Amino acid sequence: MYPIVDHEVLAPRVHRLRVKAPVVAEKAKPGQFVILIIDQKGERVPFTISDWDTDAGTVDFVFIEVGKTTRQLATLQPGDTLLSFIGPLGRPAEVDHYGHVVSVLSGYGIAAMVPILKALKEKGNTLTTIVQAPDAERLFGQKPLEELSDTVIWALGTKGDGMMESTTVAMRKLLNQHPKRRIDRVIAMCSLCLMRVLSEMTRPYAIKTMVHLTPVMVDGTGMCGACRLSVGRTNRFACVHGPEFDGHEVDGWEVLMARRCTYADESILQQGFQCRGCSQW
Amino acid sequence: MTDEKETKGAPEKKPKLNLNRVEMPKQSEHERRHNFDEVALGYTWEMAKEEASRCIQCKKRPCQQGCPVNIDIPDFIAALQRENMEEAAKVLKRKTSLPGVCGRVCPQELQCENACTLNKKGAPVAIGRLERFIADWERTQGSATMPEMAPSTGKKVAVVGSGPSGLTVASDLAIFGHQVVLFEALHVAGGVLMYGIPEFRLPKEIVQREVQYVQSLGVDLRLNTVIGINYSLDELLRTDYDAVYLAPGAGLPKFLGVPGENLNMVYSANEFLTRTNLMKAYLYPEYATPIKMGKKVAVIGGGNVAMDAARCAVRLGAQEVYVIYRRTRAEMPARLEEVENAEEEGIQFHFLCNPTAFLSDGRNNVAAMELIRMKLTEPDESGRRRPVPIPGSEYILDVDTVVVSLGTSPNPLIPSTTPDLNVTRWGTVVIDERGRTSKARVWAGGDIVSGGATVISAMGEGRIAAASMHEYLSNGQKKIIPPSPQKDDDKTE
Ligand SMILES: Cc1cc2nc3c(=O)[nH]c(=O)nc-3n(C[C@H](O)[C@H](O)[C@H](O)COP(=O)(O)OP(=O)(O)OC[C@H]3O[C@@H](n4cnc5c(N)ncnc54)[C@H](O)[C@@H]3O)c2cc1C
Ligand SMILES: Cc1cc2nc3c(=O)[nH]c(=O)nc-3n(C[C@H](O)[C@H](O)[C@H](O)COP(=O)(O)OP(=O)(O)OC[C@H]3O[C@@H](n4cnc5c(N)ncnc54)[C@H](O)[C@@H]3O)c2cc1C
Ligand code: SF4
Ligand code: FES
Repeated sequence: MYPIVDHEVLAPRVHRLRVKAPVVAEKAKPGQFVILIIDQKGERVPFTISDWDTDAGTVDFVFIEVGKTTRQLATLQPGDTLLSFIGPLGRPAEVDHYGHVVSVLSGYGIAAMVPILKALKEKGNTLTTIVQAPDAERLFGQKPLEELSDTVIWALGTKGDGMMESTTVAMRKLLNQHPKRRIDRVIAMCSLCLMRVLSEMTRPYAIKTMVHLTPVMVDGTGMCGACRLSVGRTNRFACVHGPEFDGHEVDGWEVLMARRCTYADESILQQGFQCRGCSQW
Repeated sequence: MTDEKETKGAPEKKPKLNLNRVEMPKQSEHERRHNFDEVALGYTWEMAKEEASRCIQCKKRPCQQGCPVNIDIPDFIAALQRENMEEAAKVLKRKTSLPGVCGRVCPQELQCENACTLNKKGAPVAIGRLERFIADWERTQGSATMPEMAPSTGKKVAVVGSGPSGLTVASDLAIFGHQVVLFEALHVAGGVLMYGIPEFRLPKEIVQREVQYVQSLGVDLRLNTVIGINYSLDELLRTDYDAVYLAPGAGLPKFLGVPGENLNMVYSANEFLTRTNLMKAYLYPEYATPIKMGKKVAVIGGGNVAMDAARCAVRLGAQEVYVIYRRTRAEMPARLEEVENAEEEGIQFHFLCNPTAFLSDGRNNVAAMELIRMKLTEPDESGRRRPVPIPGSEYILDVDTVVVSLGTSPNPLIPSTTPDLNVTRWGTVVIDERGRTSKARVWAGGDIVSGGATVISAMGEGRIAAASMHEYLSNGQKKIIPPSPQKDDDKTE
């Protein structure tokens, strides 16, 4: 059993949980994730590690209420326990000295990217961070981003529309300055559609663009193949070979998005999951 | 009882053979298509007695020789004939720690029952059903007999993977007096017995009983712990453990590698079965894990995994279920009883054909598949007839769900994090005849070595390795003699 030691509400329907799991905390690296099960009847659900403390033996993650498991998680309080908490899974994000790194975050990525940004900062990179949120009320986690980044661009949507545009417009402006103001690398942890669009935007510039993919997962250890996708013409398992991939090499975006939506029936229509022009709807 | 019929010492007095094999009652086809309850209901006491009485107690014990773990079959049947259940259970437990499992899932028709003298007349003693009967009796009536435990040796062993192989080694070594920690990646122990083989063939309660038994021997079970992630093999050896047994199975699903295989609603059998069995999607929404399935389901493959997937699909409500197999019924590796059950449950078998592509409905969901007809070649030197495609024979079959059940290969996680562990080019771990790997203090067995075999062979390999590990641990010498690694690239099939 894995006790919850802290629960913070960051914004409407956005929560941060801190779980006691020393074995996970000991090996965690930026960009890795856990799979948890709440109770005997629960589903195995993946979440990206947003922080950890090896000494205290705790692991943090931030989640958005979208469906059954995340709604149930939102009701848990310190003292409650999780049945299972496996990790750290997946390969850590690639981190090196690249120069100027532009990252694009939305949703839980706003928190889950922080450990990667920290590591990039330590390597001496210059960081430009584009943060997408539906509106100011639903924005959270600004402080660490401001501290770590050299420039933060807040890409907030206007009522009812324009969320994705606010980000692509910002990205376009940055790309227009390239290579005068050189971009050496892009990292995105946001919606699948946006990561796909970003990959297409940077392709003509040959700027390496890493995307954090989140196909549906079951075991998270390479056993079920639910998370498979085609990268560079070979089949890859996101839970083992990813979740970070080179966006220019992902060749199965359409299929990936269809598979991601297998269990989305109603929730896809919710705010934040609704993508215009999505191949599924 | 038929004691007089014993051939004991008598100069070839032909015993009168009873060729009426006692059938085991089952749930009717109609009923069982709609539930996940066990299909086979097991013998009653009278049935078991009658079936046991058919055994003529052959002196040469061909059945025992046909058993991969050498169970004293004539002896447990003799005990049954004498109506001594405790004795029968004891005889069984001498060689198998999982009789309730083996009685249900072993391919007896290829092993003990194939070798049985009465099989020459086409009616072997139903050894598997008797084994199951005894195990079930012990579970429900008997007091779980605890084995005699050796005093603690102070040695500590890690067992990686809690499938049949790992469970066997863990219990053997605990009985020998060693301290055992059993690591399992998933949130429940049991391996394929829990996540693969469905409830209607092997009730999960039976598996969990076996796990509890192993824990009752003092084995420390650590769930949710992945070796290769949470601890590397070297870390285990460097820190607490005197020896390690690797039994992580062969969990990596194989795919066909044809166009469209990643379309939505194309599952690997592992995903399909894990959702259904381990996560209990058939009880959704009481259990939170869903499984999405259409009306026309095609299962690719001819082994136990394919049968299980197809029969799960029937129970989950598919209207039509096809099994697509590239050879013929005779070559199907699945357990015969399950093929018959599948046929009774209305599953349609398409033999001698193989998928060449999966086609989309335009929204990246699978809508059909293209198949090519196959024929079998003349037998080669090894007597095997290979399936080869018939050019130009492609045709289309409409399906909305596909389950690829081609078998599995070893998960590379542990080998890839352990450079000095010898593996074959199929990724299976190389061992010698005593279960030793190329790495000092590390043994291995089960599907990680065979690449995918049977429960009983996984157990048998565990037995051998446990004996070897015990010998090593008892030698008391702290100095480690590395086993001579034999490079063996052509192992396994
Ligand atoms: C590697 C990885 C890291 C992730 N990290 C985070 C994170 O840090 N914070 C966060 O809030 N979410 C994260 N997610 C997504 C999160 O797993 C899903 O939001 C969650 O499973 C929804 O569960 P639910 O029962 O509440 O919703 P459901 O009702 O089950 O589904 C709601 C939506 O979530 C999607 N979904 C359902 N199950 C899965 C699954 N197993 N894998 C991926 N998507 C799924 C569905 O397609 C649907 O769109 C991550 C996913 C992956 C694969
Ligand atoms: C659907 C299906 C049906 C089958 N039907 C039959 C049948 O009817 N009769 C029969 O005899 N055989 C059958 N088999 C084959 C049989 O189940 C296997 O041969 C047997 O289970 C192998 O046992 P094992 O102990 O080697 O591995 P497994 O049973 O695979 O157990 C391995 C365990 O190790 C765990 N593990 C893996 N990696 C790690 C790691 N890195 N760290 C920690 N733990 C890890 C896994 O989660 C798993 O629990 C079937 C197999 C399948 C898939
Ligand atoms: S071979 Fe058959 S008849 Fe002979 S001892 Fe074994 S089970 Fe009995
Ligand atoms: S989640 Fe099962 S293989 Fe990746």
